[in-house]
Amino acid sequence: MNTDTSGLVHNIVEKLSRQFDEIAVLAVTRRELMTKVWNSEPSITQLWSRLELNIRLAKSRRLWVLSYETHDPETLVKHAEEIVKIADKIMEAELYAPLPDYASCKPLEGAFDPNAEYYTRNPSRLVDVLISEALSTGVERVSGTIMLSKINRLLVTSKGYECSESKTEFEVYARAFRGDFTGHWAHGSTRISQEAVREVSRRAGFYATIAKTRVDFTPGEYNVILSPLVVGNLFDYVASMASALAVLTGFSMFAKYKPGGIVGVDSLSLHDVPRDPALPGAVGFDDEGVETSNKPIIDKGVLATLLHNAATAVKMNTKSTGNAGWIRPRPWNLEIPSGDIREEELIKELRSGVFITNNWYTRLQNYYEGYFSTVSRDMALLVKNGDVVGHVGRVRVASSFSTLMKNLKELSRERFNIWWWEVRTPTRAPFIIVSNIHLTKPEA
Amino acid sequence: MQIDPLLLYRVVDRGRDLGAHYVEARFQDDYGFVVSVRNDKVLAVSYYRNSGVGIRALVNGALGFASTSSTSLSNLLDILELTISQAKATSSLRKKPIVFSEEQLGVVKYSVVEKRPLLDFNVENAIRLAVEAYNTVKSAIREVKLPFLVTTIRAHIQEKLIVTSDGAHIESRVPRLYMSISSTILHPQKGTLQRTREFGGSGGLELIEQWNHLKILVEEHAALEKVLIEGTSPPSEKVTVILGSEVVGLIAHESAGHPMEADRILGREASQAGESYVKPEYINNYRVGNEYATVIDDPTIPGSYGFYLYDDEGVKARPRFLYKNGLIHEPLHNRHTARLFNMRSNGASRSMNSSSEPIIRMSNTYIAPGELSFEELIEDVDLGMYVKSYMEWNIDDIRWNQRYVGLEAYMIRCGELAEPVRNPVLEFTTGWFYSNILAADKNLEFHPGTCGKGEPSQGVPVWFGGPDVKLSKMRVGVLT
Repeated sequence: MNTDTSGLVHNIVEKLSRQFDEIAVLAVTRRELMTKVWNSEPSITQLWSRLELNIRLAKSRRLWVLSYETHDPETLVKHAEEIVKIADKIMEAELYAPLPDYASCKPLEGAFDPNAEYYTRNPSRLVDVLISEALSTGVERVSGTIMLSKINRLLVTSKGYECSESKTEFEVYARAFRGDFTGHWAHGSTRISQEAVREVSRRAGFYATIAKTRVDFTPGEYNVILSPLVVGNLFDYVASMASALAVLTGFSMFAKYKPGGIVGVDSLSLHDVPRDPALPGAVGFDDEGVETSNKPIIDKGVLATLLHNAATAVKMNTKSTGNAGWIRPRPWNLEIPSGDIREEELIKELRSGVFITNNWYTRLQNYYEGYFSTVSRDMALLVKNGDVVGHVGRVRVASSFSTLMKNLKELSRERFNIWWWEVRTPTRAPFIIVSNIHLTKPEA
Repeated sequence: MQIDPLLLYRVVDRGRDLGAHYVEARFQDDYGFVVSVRNDKVLAVSYYRNSGVGIRALVNGALGFASTSSTSLSNLLDILELTISQAKATSSLRKKPIVFSEEQLGVVKYSVVEKRPLLDFNVENAIRLAVEAYNTVKSAIREVKLPFLVTTIRAHIQEKLIVTSDGAHIESRVPRLYMSISSTILHPQKGTLQRTREFGGSGGLELIEQWNHLKILVEEHAALEKVLIEGTSPPSEKVTVILGSEVVGLIAHESAGHPMEADRILGREASQAGESYVKPEYINNYRVGNEYATVIDDPTIPGSYGFYLYDDEGVKARPRFLYKNGLIHEPLHNRHTARLFNMRSNGASRSMNSSSEPIIRMSNTYIAPGELSFEELIEDVDLGMYVKSYMEWNIDDIRWNQRYVGLEAYMIRCGELAEPVRNPVLEFTTGWFYSNILAADKNLEFHPGTCGKGEPSQGVPVWFGGPDVKLSKMRVGVLT
């Protein structure tokens, strides 16, 4: 965080402190680069140099959030000064709690990769690796994305809290094509690594070439292997529903449970791990200045905690879990503990069923009940007698999150740091085997 | 407009001096507020502003984009130089240079007329509107409970100034208003139903009166209560299905709009939103449906949520017939894909905000209406089902295999609506749907949505719409 931004933030806090009960200013500075690859060629390189100013204002239990990206921060202060004039015309916020009292600043260490500077200047090296490594697997073409970010967060509150931390983020994913057969893999980290790009492209190419034939498919109940990409997508929904705000608004299957309730088999755990500096969602303090902590959301099949900020915690008579969001508490990084089975044993272990390597477009009929469906993309492999028979094309998982978590049978020993377009909370996930999952496909 | 246009011209000129074949500088200012209310209590009042400049440069056949919220000339020139140097660096990895189509570009200024200015709408008004929605729904239900109703209201003003090195100068102002109501109704023995209903358009406060939202909310929740308490499972035999315009509109968006985006056809979104079942050689050659299968995307509909008159590359907008009487007809183009298809751009390039590169997007996509009344549409159906609304839906990444789970739905018996049906599941392919439309009524309705595409993902306002349509007999599934 440069001194200009720090001065600007302090200036805002100082100016507005006289008019509001509480002020928090979260300034996020982003320097980011993304190169997208299309048909084995770069389609565009994008650069961002942005400053986000987020302000939480409170007065007489009324609450306002201002999110500005603007060349003229003074307009933000003027806007806040207008707000205060009409403050008493707005009803009190239902979910309100004072900002936490002063705490010492403990920024997270180890989440900044100094190599970011080099690769931001020379992204072509990474792009070249993504393309060439995928093509070396025998596929016809590859597409994908590489994104590098340098991010600084500075939080200053009128309660005397001030903390700043910097990190780097590295997101890479690739999709490889051999005719209509495609494979996909993804990786997210705070560390930039050519080897990670190679691994992503190799795996995308591997899945695109794993089967040679298309086979018929009959809808019904199957035992399934879900790849870490699928696990990351589905458990991102589960973790989002663990946000206390989701519960309070009915957009959560956990609205029917209390912490301590059994929601899955005892081999299933789901952790929020903001203090893992390897995963790109790493943060040392939340948006209210509460020190973050790693914690189970689901612990051995039991709902361990919802995710709280100060206001939802007061509403539910508990303590903040360090997951603010000023309005919506959210997970930072997710981790699913590993199991015993080795990746190369998965197909033998499944014996018969379908191996879904990737998915997208997860939607819910009813969040309260947890009914969802999601569509496979890339390879979906029919397995018989422990061998891959062929690719079944695009099929749909139509189930409930409760079924998914109660029918979990195995987790792989290997886990992968997944982050891409369809997994927006970085997740360290294993492969899993789940029994009796309903798969569908249109008749015509 | 909070920028001196000369700054953008300086950027464009400097980009040409640095060797760029094409430079586009876009100042974009998106601002407004969002109010969220849980039942009759305020959850959040948020104000937002995303303001800055997005610059795109085509250099040595490679494309670069840069965005900044700082609009000082020195900063703009710095990021211009960076994006040009990055584009040059990646140009060696391109086999074919990117080239844009030649176009007649606009030099215009336009703004949406507001009968009652949106700036007169304040947070206090929005909260009152949301509380009124909750109280109205609560009064509409009898036996079920309403534990959760979340109303979100968004006032949004979008201002743009676009300058390109080949002569475009487009200044625009589009105000938009949006409201969503998400409700959960609960019956102790029958469980829950959830519904999200959206209203949106471009214009001023007159939109609220046009929506007639309170009447709609009352009717819908009374109907959903009946579905929850009395709803039966769908029959096991195949039945004629009538789809309501809300479902039809979504189908048009998902299975005609998206697969007809030329960048998707060519693979540019392959690793994110996917590709398309449509191949370049299908244009004007491949029949996807019957004579009822006409799907139009039209950004110029007055009052629409996806309204614009010029796109973000300076090309004049016009209606596009994506499917015409069953034939795959005209993809949505920007200046890059138009060149690859040897056509002129039809003005489909849009950006979510100043941080976003312009990419091919839909605007207001709909299936053409017919001439029947709804009563005429169902009068000859002995055994059928009417699916009026939905919650869950999805479609595969080439836009072929799709699913919609009905919410408000009824059996049709002897040409009349009969008992309610709970959670009917419809799965079909794009080809089956457009080939099995038997008739369409004249009740063209539009619904707002936020369409997601691109990387980083961009959500842009759209309408989708259509009439009620009658389909051939199909098997209707059960939610498992």
